[in-house]
Amino acid sequence: MKPKIPMALPNSAIPALADPDGFYEALLDAHSGLSHDESAAYNARLVLILAHQIGRQEVLMQSLALAKA
Amino acid sequence: MKNTSSQPYAAAQHTNGYEFSQGTGYTLPEYDAVIPDAVKSGEIEHHRILIVGGGLTGLTLACSLAQLGVKCVLLDEDNTVGVKGASSRGICYTQKSLEIFDKLGIYERIKAKGIQWSVGRTFAGEDEVYNFDLKAQGNFSLSEQPAFANIQQFYNEGFLVERIFELGHAQIRWNNRVTAFSIENKFATFSIATPAGSYKATADFIVDATGSRSPFHDWLNIEKTIKKGDDRWCIADVRFNTHPPKERHTWIEAPFNENRAVWQHLMADDVWRIDYQMAPDADPAYVSSETQVRERLARQFGAETKVDIVWVGPYAYRSECVNAMAAKAGKSEVFFIGDSAKVVSPFGARGGNTGIADADNLAWKLAAVVQGRASSRLLQSYHAERHEAATTNVQVTNRTARFLRPAQGMERVFRDATIHLAKKHLFARSLVNTGRMAVANPYSRSPITAPDLAQSHSVQNVSFQWANRHTGHLNDLLRWAAGLPLLLLWHAPQSRLASLLMWAQAGRVRMVHVGELMGSLPASEQPARFKETIQDPERRIAPACGFAGAAGWALIRPDSYLAARGAGLDVRAIELALARLQGASRVGASV
Repeated sequence: MKPKIPMALPNSAIPALADPDGFYEALLDAHSGLSHDESAAYNARLVLILAHQIGRQEVLMQSLALAKA
Repeated sequence: MKNTSSQPYAAAQHTNGYEFSQGTGYTLPEYDAVIPDAVKSGEIEHHRILIVGGGLTGLTLACSLAQLGVKCVLLDEDNTVGVKGASSRGICYTQKSLEIFDKLGIYERIKAKGIQWSVGRTFAGEDEVYNFDLKAQGNFSLSEQPAFANIQQFYNEGFLVERIFELGHAQIRWNNRVTAFSIENKFATFSIATPAGSYKATADFIVDATGSRSPFHDWLNIEKTIKKGDDRWCIADVRFNTHPPKERHTWIEAPFNENRAVWQHLMADDVWRIDYQMAPDADPAYVSSETQVRERLARQFGAETKVDIVWVGPYAYRSECVNAMAAKAGKSEVFFIGDSAKVVSPFGARGGNTGIADADNLAWKLAAVVQGRASSRLLQSYHAERHEAATTNVQVTNRTARFLRPAQGMERVFRDATIHLAKKHLFARSLVNTGRMAVANPYSRSPITAPDLAQSHSVQNVSFQWANRHTGHLNDLLRWAAGLPLLLLWHAPQSRLASLLMWAQAGRVRMVHVGELMGSLPASEQPARFKETIQDPERRIAPACGFAGAAGWALIRPDSYLAARGAGLDVRAIELALARLQGASRVGASV
């Protein structure tokens, strides 16, 4: 039986980011001037850092599944 | 098929010429050329206030000054509003702009002619990604004016012109083209060509409202921050035999436009503006040819829909902002307003609307200085406030432009991921950026805002009841104040009013008592019998002034921005706030 993935977190109507546009801009700026491989490596490091910051195993498992869908 | 034009797109993008435009166009009003006496006499004219440029912002400033009884001269290079043979340019007017137009007395005409909308929908491919209803957002419902109205820009310009004719004080000189600039006898001096010959004029205060290709920038060596892009669009203003919904529709990726963006907006006269994003290397003549435009429209609306093309033209945008909103030219002081101060992409309607706000901000300050009520230091706050607004609007529009025209590589990957997630998850919708609609920008570092306010915000045009129970609006009070600060007093005990009444009599401030529930106060605490008392039974004014709890007093500027407020009645704080609005040099807590 497949585990049921709770959808409450990403579908919350309350935005978790105080400044989504500012974050998005900073994210794109971080990639400016990087080659494709450098960008991929940057993303990998970023995911691992964010996983550490989140720190909750069940949230990380949910997120892995959501990104697959 | 003509796809080999030698004309590079870049050469067409910054011009106000519309060499690739198509369509039947609009019939614009024409006004008589004005030939000043100086053409014959050869005398050099000197004015207190000279406005160069009769577009939306220049006319808003002239009309605002006229309403405050301030003389000014406005030079316009042609004899009509809008651009001859061109599109309507701006179409989308914010609540703040509509409030300003209401104050100036032209809102009823805009309301009758324009189209109100509040629902916007964003699509990607065949899917709706999200929608919004501005009526349900923020404080839009507090104002007498709607969240937005769409109308062709030249209508608003025409209404302003006719209003200026009614008001007097401001003289519009049609067919007066500024041809040269110099500094003579320490004043900025213009050579001006008319159909009957040229003349020269100088002024103490000069307002550059010449728009996105301002010649003043070169004349005065103005430093600017510029960002160029390669995003290309083609406008089609059209009429249909069908009636799409009165909503703003945006496609980030439209299947009927090779998966590029499309905007769909209604204007007056049942005309729709359809904006098509083009390939960055598209040839402007080709993409705006009638065959191409009709093919595109047929793909979007169906081959059976009958289309009447009103105007078609390609455009590109750049992002540019002066580093200072004012400059000295000899003894003359030059102010930049509207597109001559900053140029932004059209997303979010942050161009014309912020130009209107520039004019509204500058008008009462110039009036106070010219009429001798304030020191010229007050004018420094124009840069402090409107440059903050300009840089914010440049940043916000740049972010939207980057979402709509992502660079190849990771920017594109992140946008695809955002759209993919946004179709399923609410959280990702906040990252989808098809334009953040213009707002009345708050001022967080203004020298004329009370230091205990984190920022000065625009107080909406809320309604109240006059003593006779008729409905009034904040704009009625602002018009009555005629350029003076407006002091609203909720709590006004007789015993503490002496100095306030003195200031009112001396013409420093206009006062109004706002009645809510006073309860059974002792006689000495009963509100004074003001000539001007209004009732606020639905308690709209206090929240509009930003009071969360009990309201005491609020000082509102002629442009309806909040200068200061307090609970209770702090006469000293009111005095300091009034001094700031008169351009006092150092007004702080240490006084």
